[in-house]
Amino acid sequence: MNALARLHAAMEGTPADRIPVFCNLLDQGARLLGIGPREYYASGEHVAEAQLRMREKYGYDNLWGLFYVGREAEFFGCREMVYAEDGPPNVGHMVIRTVEDVPRLEPPADVLSHPAFEQPRKCFDILRREAGGRFPICAYVTATMTLPVLLMGMERWLPLLLTGPRTLRDELLAKCHDFFVSQVRACRAAGADVIVYSNPFGSTDLVPMSFFREQSLPWIERDIEAAGRAGLVYYGGAARVNPVIETVLERTRVEAFYLSPLDDVAEGRARIAGRALCCAALNDIPMIDWAPAQVEQEVKRLVEAGKPGGRFLFGTLLMPLAIPEVNIRALVAAACRYGALDA
Amino acid sequence: MIQHLATGFAEAIVDTDGDKALQLVRQALAAGVSPEQVVFEVVVPCMDHLCGLAASDGGLSVAQHFLAAQISSDVVDAMLPRFRRAPQVAGRVVIGTAVGDFHALGKRIVSGCLSAHMIEVTDLGMNVPAERFVEQALARDAQVIAVSSMMVHTARGEHGCRGVRRILRERRLEQQLKVVVGGAPYRFDERLFEVVEADAWARSAIEAVPVVVRLVGEAGGP
Repeated sequence: MNALARLHAAMEGTPADRIPVFCNLLDQGARLLGIGPREYYASGEHVAEAQLRMREKYGYDNLWGLFYVGREAEFFGCREMVYAEDGPPNVGHMVIRTVEDVPRLEPPADVLSHPAFEQPRKCFDILRREAGGRFPICAYVTATMTLPVLLMGMERWLPLLLTGPRTLRDELLAKCHDFFVSQVRACRAAGADVIVYSNPFGSTDLVPMSFFREQSLPWIERDIEAAGRAGLVYYGGAARVNPVIETVLERTRVEAFYLSPLDDVAEGRARIAGRALCCAALNDIPMIDWAPAQVEQEVKRLVEAGKPGGRFLFGTLLMPLAIPEVNIRALVAAACRYGALDA
Repeated sequence: MIQHLATGFAEAIVDTDGDKALQLVRQALAAGVSPEQVVFEVVVPCMDHLCGLAASDGGLSVAQHFLAAQISSDVVDAMLPRFRRAPQVAGRVVIGTAVGDFHALGKRIVSGCLSAHMIEVTDLGMNVPAERFVEQALARDAQVIAVSSMMVHTARGEHGCRGVRRILRERRLEQQLKVVVGGAPYRFDERLFEVVEADAWARSAIEAVPVVVRLVGEAGGP
């Protein structure tokens, strides 16, 4: 059974040899190729090569077309990324400095043909050519309500969202929605099997439940309706999603939830109740300092909480660069061992 | 009157209804409530109430923290010039994000919460070198240095909290200057504050208030 078939089996609740194991390594690619992050992320060929080699090296199931979170700002005219040798790039130029910039903001009409998609497209092309149909190729797309964070920073977006002029707020959200839809289509056309729909504003860690129901949810429904549910995974950007699972399921019929490490996996599985794929995420920040035996114990705990009843996937967050290789190997080995199924 | 105001103010903040919270304060002032009462019998107890909610199982959302901090510090700023006597400063803090970190929201919320408790806050901005944290803390006679990080590598980096600790140790300032850290990585790893050699950490902005008050005391007070 190949990894893509394993993922499909998990999503449909049909027999498989083991649960899918997703390991989300991005910045590690530059280190593997022995080059700096600026050079690495400038080339779709580099990213694709590293993704293929890292998957081969550790033996997990997925591949990423994502370069780094924040790249979406480049489609709107962001001129500077701040690169670090020990972590992911940061958005260094905010496209929106004041709310007066909102009417001037121009989302690209077509993501697929946009220059900022040239290197990701090359990456997807190589992944599809080398591994398409065998390994799930993942894309990461920021939800409409979260995208303004990359364009103006959270410290400007949150006040505008909560207390700012309603017309400008809605205009910005409408523009972000158009971009979101175009980006999902572009990623699918380029070869993505999985769309990770990232939305901290779809979590009650970010906004209270009343705001979630009245403001976040309508945009979530609109996003998912326009993008289509195929391969789409609801992800709170590491924020907890358990409290909203039933509502989101009812209103969108989304087919997969990616829990936060701060969510209780058994509770998440119970809330999903077999109606969608439940993805558990290991808390990979303390993993930097753990011994391999601790990694194994934590993987075992999560898999035992999530595996009963099926439709379960084991994964990580975007893994920090400081995690030792020996722990990544321990994680994958334990997830495959404890995630074995009676095919 | 005061009890009614305090309850309504807290409910408005939990509901993220800033307009209602400010309207209640204006009504109370018009009805004869003093600026001192607004601060010490409404705003500060409200923040303490929210601190309890933040520590509860569901917690408070980031949006609620943000509005609580913004409204409370706005109200306190508006009331202070109208006090009969200047209030006593409860402590002095310098705050900023670690080198390489460009996420400003967390420190902004923490600053608002601390200001509402009469703690004087100097915001050093983003991407602050360790040396500047220490220089500014000394220049402003602060008791606490607050280092905010939203990313793992900026939390753990040698030029963030660890750099501050190294300078404090080298200059024998550890008794008079305490270091508190906060931000997403610390919520995912509750031992991380020890790894980076901070004196303490806070899970949320509102919960930072009692932590900083304690550290101010440990550093000898304002």
